Amino acid sequence: MIAYLVRRILMLVPVFLAVSVVIFSILHFIPGDPIDNLLKIGSSPEARAEMEVRYGLDRPLPVQYGIWLSNVLRGDLGTAIVARRPVADLIAQALPHSLALGGLALLFSTVAGVGLGVIAALNRDRWPDRAIMGGVLLGSTMPSFWLGLILMLVFSVWLGWLPVSGARSWTALVLPVLTIGLGGTALVARITRVSMIEASGRDFVTLLHAKGLSPLRIQLGHVLRHALIPVVTILALRIGWILGGAVTVEVVFARPGLGTLLIKSLSQHDYPVVQACLLMLAMAVMLGTLLGDILQAVMDPRVRAALA
Amino acid sequence: MMAWPAPLRALGHPMGGLAGGWLLLVAAAAVLAPFLTPYAYDVQDLPQAYQPASAAHWLGTDEFGRDLLTRLIYGARTSLSVSAAAIAVSVLCGMVLGAAAAWFGGWPDRAVTVAVDLTWSFPEILIALILVAIIGPGTTGVMVAIAVAYLAQFTRLTRAQIMTLKGETFVEAARCLGAGTGHILFRHLLPNALAPVLVSAMLATGDAIILEATLGFFGLGAQPPVPSWGGMMSAGSALVFKAPWVIIFPGLAVAITVVAINLYGDALIAELDIRQKLRRTA
Amino acid sequence: MTFPFRKTLLSASVSLAALMVAQAAAAQEAVFVMATNEVGAPTYNPIKATMLNTATGLIFDRLVSQAADLSYRPWLAESWEEAPDGMSWTFRLKQGVTYHNGEPFNAAAVKAWIELFKAAQGENAYMAEAIASVEVVDDHTVRFVMSRPEPNLLYNLSSTFMGVVEPKSYVALGDNYGVTEVYGTGAFRLDSFTIGQETILLRNEDYVWGPAEAANHGPAKVARLTFREIPEDSTAFLELKTGGVDFLLSVPADLIGEVEKEPNLAILTLPGQELWYMPINVTKAPFDDIRLREAAAKAINQDEILAAVFGGAGAVADTFLISALPESHVAESARIAYDPARANALLDEAGWTMGPDGVRLKDGQPLKVSLWTQSDSIFRRLTEVVQAQLKAVGIEAEITTFDSSMIRDQYKTGEQQLAVRSYNWDNADIVDWFFGGDRLGYPNVSMFNDPKAEELRTAAMTGAKNSDERVANFTAYHEYVLTQFPMAPIYQPLQVMAYNADRLAMPPAIDAPAFGAAAFLDLEVKE
Repeated sequence: MIAYLVRRILMLVPVFLAVSVVIFSILHFIPGDPIDNLLKIGSSPEARAEMEVRYGLDRPLPVQYGIWLSNVLRGDLGTAIVARRPVADLIAQALPHSLALGGLALLFSTVAGVGLGVIAALNRDRWPDRAIMGGVLLGSTMPSFWLGLILMLVFSVWLGWLPVSGARSWTALVLPVLTIGLGGTALVARITRVSMIEASGRDFVTLLHAKGLSPLRIQLGHVLRHALIPVVTILALRIGWILGGAVTVEVVFARPGLGTLLIKSLSQHDYPVVQACLLMLAMAVMLGTLLGDILQAVMDPRVRAALA
Repeated sequence: MMAWPAPLRALGHPMGGLAGGWLLLVAAAAVLAPFLTPYAYDVQDLPQAYQPASAAHWLGTDEFGRDLLTRLIYGARTSLSVSAAAIAVSVLCGMVLGAAAAWFGGWPDRAVTVAVDLTWSFPEILIALILVAIIGPGTTGVMVAIAVAYLAQFTRLTRAQIMTLKGETFVEAARCLGAGTGHILFRHLLPNALAPVLVSAMLATGDAIILEATLGFFGLGAQPPVPSWGGMMSAGSALVFKAPWVIIFPGLAVAITVVAINLYGDALIAELDIRQKLRRTA
Repeated sequence: MTFPFRKTLLSASVSLAALMVAQAAAAQEAVFVMATNEVGAPTYNPIKATMLNTATGLIFDRLVSQAADLSYRPWLAESWEEAPDGMSWTFRLKQGVTYHNGEPFNAAAVKAWIELFKAAQGENAYMAEAIASVEVVDDHTVRFVMSRPEPNLLYNLSSTFMGVVEPKSYVALGDNYGVTEVYGTGAFRLDSFTIGQETILLRNEDYVWGPAEAANHGPAKVARLTFREIPEDSTAFLELKTGGVDFLLSVPADLIGEVEKEPNLAILTLPGQELWYMPINVTKAPFDDIRLREAAAKAINQDEILAAVFGGAGAVADTFLISALPESHVAESARIAYDPARANALLDEAGWTMGPDGVRLKDGQPLKVSLWTQSDSIFRRLTEVVQAQLKAVGIEAEITTFDSSMIRDQYKTGEQQLAVRSYNWDNADIVDWFFGGDRLGYPNVSMFNDPKAEELRTAAMTGAKNSDERVANFTAYHEYVLTQFPMAPIYQPLQVMAYNADRLAMPPAIDAPAFGAAAFLDLEVKE
């Protein structure tokens, strides 16, 4: 098991390096550069060269990459070129908002999804099952920015219950969390339902029935526990997907966060900030995948047996 | 019964039939657009702007007085063709890469695996946004962006399929009979791996429609006056309280179409009995 | 076991206290939404910034202020005098003025500030270019020695870019000035700034040196101002409508009707400083032919755009300058207005004949051109109407939409043919900015570089000895540029703002070109 863990973590190293190369280099293919935003229009080439030296943009790309990577590994994310402040400060301002949004959306998806999935599984092929599965499918196919705007229209404008945008109070979180969470709910509900139905057919369930336990107790006490394994795994694997949803939703609701920071910095060519944001998102996804794989290994007896 | 191909048999499922019907309807409307509507998608009639639904304009008009239903139908052309073309490219490249990785093993396999893990480390929308920033706005940029965003999925799926098929007896038999690599790959392995890849491609087309719409929301993709569902919603987002129908209907079109793709895909999976094959690599 | 209980009690009392403070503050607090074209300003450093927002004008006072009639009034300078030959200006400064960090404001501070301004050699340095040196006459008198007469000096000094910074902290803070800390003498000081999101200003309790146009001569009446940056107009409007914010510093014309529908909301308008136009790249065929430029310019139906896109609010534009400026009074023949007959005749004359599908042809080639715009919804909407109007005379324009901040880099390639743009400025020197031959690509999107124009430009920028001469020179320069059709004027909006009338009481009159420092001093929050 330990050997598996070590091997799994070591596998991340080449991926991390590849990710860092891509993050670093891809921005340089976008037309325009950050110096343009700083220089006086009509500036001399000398002034430009001086500015490039100042921000280290005059060196060959591989050298710039080496410096950047070694700084990042030492925890130094550099200084924003256009925003003129430490990138770490910008990230520190944005990250809590994104974590709150992503975390709550994840929680919402899990609770609502498992709940609906259980109800659907218990009523397999009857109308509550069909209604729930139809509803969540519809929920997962609406573009998140559209859903966000429609929710805004209904709950903020027509009903006046919740604030439209921003992050000035906890109520401002409700609509963005719902917007992202509804997509995740569909996924969780589907997996919960399928896993419960599958688990119900397993030998140990027949045994429990034979022992005379009440069907509901069997379902909630034993079957659900088994069914949760794939749910947790898939959720961990889907962290990136939730973060991706957060980018659009943050823009729609004018919320501070990594998504808005990223979009803003991308359009200003503020490389250090974009690099840091992408790195944060990629790391979250990689850790999510790692977590998912480990959970699968720990909880799935077949995989565990294979590794032993 | 077996004489019917699976895509037709899928229509026999209650939900599959309904979903397939909707998809056929949308596709037919997109193809026959000029014959279905008396309006042009690009002719402005400014005094008629912001009209709610009426007998003349079944879904109302947009901010230029253009018929919304007309634009929705023409928008289906853009959105469906961009998404489908992007996924087709993605599937082709993914199959080549995946097959190569599985067949040759060694460093090509490791390189492909790292590349797959690499693209999976970024949310699809970010990959797409950055690629469009590089390539430029317009449908080509969006198509490439979508194709790259989903490449990893098909590569990984094909690789897994080939890996399992590689050890099977009929491949061994072909090899013993002296068949070359190309022959085995293209005549034996890929055709057998095709069904699950095509079904997942179909499901991915649904996701691609949403991604295309999201990029359209950021003002990327088909340029005005050519309508796309995403572009229409993007324009509608500024009118959300003044003329909510401008954003509501394209969103519903996306949602219903993607639901239909999913339901039809489910029916197809059941017919082809490939749930296990897809599950293993999900 | 008592610990958890005490903790709960403590947190309950803390949150109760916080609630009470919040309520007390609410009475003296107001939330503003920054104008959409000011969103994303990265710094509050007026010396180095190329883009400053409304809040900057509250942190920094200026030597003089501009009134609604475009005349100049005392602010940090009590009075001033220009030498008859225009070669020196003497300013007498107000006494007892201090910066937010406690440093005194005096002649030495002004000298140090101007020297910093000139030394920065930033985008704004031209504003102080004509000032050769600054002499400290006494503690409260400075003399600007000029290298040439600058009739525009008072305008420059009234601009936000020439907000008077505190020189010591400016030097000490370096690049952090304007980002983490910033010190001026203004009615408000910076409390916090999150780039692209929110700026919070707190009242300067010592402030008794407001501009002459304000009725209030003491500290501001509102204790705390929050400026939020919301890029999408419709979201900002929804915030106002639902009570999330109190004031929108910009409202697009198509939303005016929506604001007026709400009983508790009110509209506030000031004369506009913005102008929308369509630059035409004079170097790219077919627009290297002046006939095609004129045809494209005269195909634009300004009245239709005013009515259909902007709901009739504001005015059409027929020159490159807002009509409040005297330099906009060019000869009738130089004005550019909708004339489809002329446009069609010119296109015929140039050999472009109408094809069967409504697109003109020459040598079998269709008249297809590119039309660039930015992704903001109002730009896209206007551009689509422009596209339809060009089509009406047989020009097929293909729209390409770029992200608003990326479009500059695109213009630098010089590949554009037509575009839709807007600017916000109330001085004739904007003609120099957008058509100067040394700024090709951006900001000179039209790639206009004409020897005669350059000659007139030099005379306008540096050749005038007094304001009358400057007006005459700029009018001539502007007029010549118009006759070369490097752009088509489209529309002049009003400055439209909206506020929650239940929450805010507006000053009875706003004697300023914009809702700035004077208006914020007089603004009140209703109890």
